[in-house]
Amino acid sequence: MSAQPDNAVDQTDASLQRFVAGYRPLPGIFDEMMDPAGRVRAHWQPFLSMLGALGGEEINRRFAAADRYLRDSGVFYRVYEDAAGLERPWPLSHIPLLIEPTEWRDLVAGLTQRAELLEAVLADCYGPATLTGEGRLPAALVAGNPEFLRPFVGVAPPGGAHLRFYAVDIGRGSDGRWWVLSDRTQAPSGAGYAIENRLALSRAIPDIYRTTGVERVAPFFQAFQSELFALNRQDDARICLLTPGPMNETYFEHAYLARYLGLLLVDGEDLIVRDDGVFIRTVAGLRRTEVLVRRIDADFSDPLELNAASRLGVAGLIQAVRDGKIIIINSLGAGLVEARAMLAFLPALAPAVLGADLKMPNVATWWLGRADVRKEMIERLDEVVVAAAFTESMAGMPFSGEALGTKLGDAQRQELVRSIRDRGVDYVVQEAVTLSSMPVWRDGRLQPRPFTLRLFLAKIGERWQVMPGGFVRIAEHGDAHAVSLQRGAATADAWVLTHGPVGDTTLLPHPERMPVQRAAGLLPSRAADNLFWVGRYVERAEATLRLVRAMINRIAEGYDAAAPVISSIAALLEAWNAIPADSQKASVVFMARAALMRSDLQGSLPYLVGSARSAASVIRDRFSPDAWRALSDLATLASAQLSIGPSESAMTDRVEAGLRIVAALSGLAQENMSQRAGWRFLELGRRIERALVTCRLVRCFALPINVDGGLDVLLELADSQITYRQRYLMIAAPVPVIDLVMLDPNNPRSVVFQFDRIEAHLAALPKSSGGRLSPVQQIAASIATRLRTAEAASIDSELIMDIEQALMKLSDAIGAAYLINTERSDFEWEALA
Amino acid sequence: MIYDVRQTTTCGYASPVAHAHHVLRLTPVHRDGQRVHVAALQILPEPTRRREGADFFGNRLTWIEIEEPHETLTVRLAARVAVDSIAETQPQSTPCWEDVREEGFAASDIGLLSPAHFLFPSRMVSLDPEICDYTRESFPPGRPIFDGAIDLITRLKADIVYEIGATTVTTTPPMSFALRRGVCQDFAHIMISGLRGIGLPAAYVSGYLRSAPRADATGLHGSEAMHAWVLLWCGASAGWIGLDPTNAILVKEEHVMLAIGRDYTDVAPVDGVIVGSRGQRMEVSVSVTPVT
Repeated sequence: MSAQPDNAVDQTDASLQRFVAGYRPLPGIFDEMMDPAGRVRAHWQPFLSMLGALGGEEINRRFAAADRYLRDSGVFYRVYEDAAGLERPWPLSHIPLLIEPTEWRDLVAGLTQRAELLEAVLADCYGPATLTGEGRLPAALVAGNPEFLRPFVGVAPPGGAHLRFYAVDIGRGSDGRWWVLSDRTQAPSGAGYAIENRLALSRAIPDIYRTTGVERVAPFFQAFQSELFALNRQDDARICLLTPGPMNETYFEHAYLARYLGLLLVDGEDLIVRDDGVFIRTVAGLRRTEVLVRRIDADFSDPLELNAASRLGVAGLIQAVRDGKIIIINSLGAGLVEARAMLAFLPALAPAVLGADLKMPNVATWWLGRADVRKEMIERLDEVVVAAAFTESMAGMPFSGEALGTKLGDAQRQELVRSIRDRGVDYVVQEAVTLSSMPVWRDGRLQPRPFTLRLFLAKIGERWQVMPGGFVRIAEHGDAHAVSLQRGAATADAWVLTHGPVGDTTLLPHPERMPVQRAAGLLPSRAADNLFWVGRYVERAEATLRLVRAMINRIAEGYDAAAPVISSIAALLEAWNAIPADSQKASVVFMARAALMRSDLQGSLPYLVGSARSAASVIRDRFSPDAWRALSDLATLASAQLSIGPSESAMTDRVEAGLRIVAALSGLAQENMSQRAGWRFLELGRRIERALVTCRLVRCFALPINVDGGLDVLLELADSQITYRQRYLMIAAPVPVIDLVMLDPNNPRSVVFQFDRIEAHLAALPKSSGGRLSPVQQIAASIATRLRTAEAASIDSELIMDIEQALMKLSDAIGAAYLINTERSDFEWEALA
Repeated sequence: MIYDVRQTTTCGYASPVAHAHHVLRLTPVHRDGQRVHVAALQILPEPTRRREGADFFGNRLTWIEIEEPHETLTVRLAARVAVDSIAETQPQSTPCWEDVREEGFAASDIGLLSPAHFLFPSRMVSLDPEICDYTRESFPPGRPIFDGAIDLITRLKADIVYEIGATTVTTTPPMSFALRRGVCQDFAHIMISGLRGIGLPAAYVSGYLRSAPRADATGLHGSEAMHAWVLLWCGASAGWIGLDPTNAILVKEEHVMLAIGRDYTDVAPVDGVIVGSRGQRMEVSVSVTPVT
């Protein structure tokens, strides 16, 4: 820099120096940004100059914008240890890792070679087994690996490859070299989060992102997507992403990647295996699938031949693979090469398998199944890390994960040494790696933190491509050996710098987003079923809220005058199990409190909202973030404490707030639900429930004899007062009120209106074929006709009961047509001696 | 000895099952020391689809799908199996157990009966420190492996009470060991857990024990139903040796092998997924009679 006399550069240099002032690399650790002499490395200078020039306040503002973007997009991950299964906001550290082009080329070469090696090892272990036969790989190391799936021995993976998507964690040692820390071949996660990190950051600092030459990641995903579609043999087959479901820590990513790549997000229940292939259960019948990107661990994929206790898998999937009917990415069994113990053998396998040494080393590892190695390493425990050979933790191991030899207590060490002497096959030791550090923005300045970098490779045709970017995980504190999101670390983007041109970023609104949208139009039955129930629960919650409000409103009228109406409301709440049985004699406040607070009662607000939310959580990918947030807000509201004591106003506030959220939710569902068929099921649920509720209200407040003040309550509950007053300008009379809430096709709360909507939705569903009515439609049509031709004066309890029964039949019929219930056989095994 | 084996397995459901997808492991196959002359499965109701095959360990698998509603599933096995009388191994002639352990660790064979498959914890058999300590008492340094194993089954029989109903099919070895009670599955699982815990390869065998004549007073457990025992690998030269910890006897001519696996879950006679019913119950009747 000093060689350049240009004044502007000097100034930039000065401001850069100010910006990094106080940044001190951790002792003995390689720092990505700063060399040991305290100079900012050349490839970081342009970026840091631009960032520093913004000034601390503007940087904070920009970074906050990135966080807001992530929050608004609904990016989250789930923390397993958390009892509540809490979703955490996405912890983005805003300074990207910068990788310069020549170094990137070396990484690409090293990792491409490694991917080829892993594929070859998998092909051998599931094929001829020459590596074990020749003694290059101990048989125990393969057989002891829980990911060695015996049903696939001797079966070539359909499509010809075990691996098509591979992730690898690397770290830079204190010598400045990159080392492979671990391989991810089972169901690699992180690529979706990497895209989101990139989007958030490129929006927060678009000017810097544009000016810095950064390789784009979208072309990598485009290539992978094309490859997936090329694997399809039949045009009508759909490509699916198989998820273990919303309780998985990275479920957000499953949903996100499915959308991004144009795949259908399914879980095990959505799929069924037949002799001629694998099919998706949709509301329009079975649809073939030939390519499955899986995020479910292999062991859970088929309860028939693998883990019989799995409720996540698909019975018969393994047979379908053996029959060549389905390509699974990565192949079931590909997790075999993830094992730590493999790291001990891969360096020596490379020359034998590929005819060349590994271009990029992996962390030095020794497997303790060999007597000579075991003896030596027990002597050297203080210098190494001890870890499970195959999985994160093993039963019978004195600790889980890994432990630094130096950090073991005496008793722990003795136990460990004994375990190693008994069963060395379960253990590896690894060289203790010191990770390099990169800058994070904390408290208004840059500070160094250790990190690991996850890179992603996809097999395109016969060649591997590396995503030019990555997913960085940063330790929260100084010296960490292992970094994991579960342990509260932050993440960052990785920018691969380029001297060449990058794709034009100004033409597309979202440079990293792809326009392909093939997923529209196919609705799995399970999703339809859940949407239907979300609709029913939300509508029922609204009814409970309205009843409570009506009851509280009556207190003001004086107890005596309102007593008959209040006891009618109470009877209804009790019939819906919203208040405890026999509490009708209790005070209004007691009853209202119960309906709003008692989560053990099936008609209470907390119970209904909780049911709606849990049904929705299973199909979260079909809700917009806004709609999901509205449902979460409602759940939060319903579970918050109410102050003890007579607190009508607090309860009124809660009811009003609840009704506002329900109204917002209806609007959001209408506006934002991408799936037409999905929206129809949600609507069907709501309409059926609303018709049922309205019928009950009419029977309760208008028939057979008019409870004093009952018609006014009915109008209030059916949200029809204004319409009524506009029309009649007089006190409520039975016939006009019944006409308005039962028969008026222009009143969006009337029962006839609900039937109009129900029939319209049913007609638009895939199963209604041609001109003939489906059985479900026939049920709706027969009762709707009866209603439409009825006179208000002739409506009696009997007719309304008929309508209610028909509505329940309709609900069952929809369920039977679209709902499938699978159960595993749990035999009570009686006769085993 | 030649046996006629009859087994009837009945799964009863509380309400009709609309669709069932099962895998059955109920047909014996040829093994070292055992030849199957004939074996046939009769399944009711008649499956819509049926497929035959084998698993990794050489066991016979039958996959069935039933699409007609049914309240019971009945599977009948009729088989004739010849069991060779096994030449007795001298306990003192087998290698010391530590050498067998290293030999297993170092195995290069990964075929179906390689010791490598049977060294590790499996779905139902975890490695439990208490069972491991118990087992170690039978294996002082340098003891010939088969000698130690005979000592172990003798102790197991003495220390654990055979009691039907004390455990279920899902009881884990640490649970039944803590109870000191169980049936053949528990005896086998406990023994396997202990052997693997000290690094020795042990396999789970499901099968049958010759039915006792009515007047028989030997009182062997397990002859009226399916039985289970253990195969221990005693080094390449001695190979796999069968031990029956429930009865503290060696496996000679009275045991008919059905399936071999790492634990019960590998050989479970009926696994599956059904649609429609809660509440199910399985009953089994067995007879194993010598052909004279």
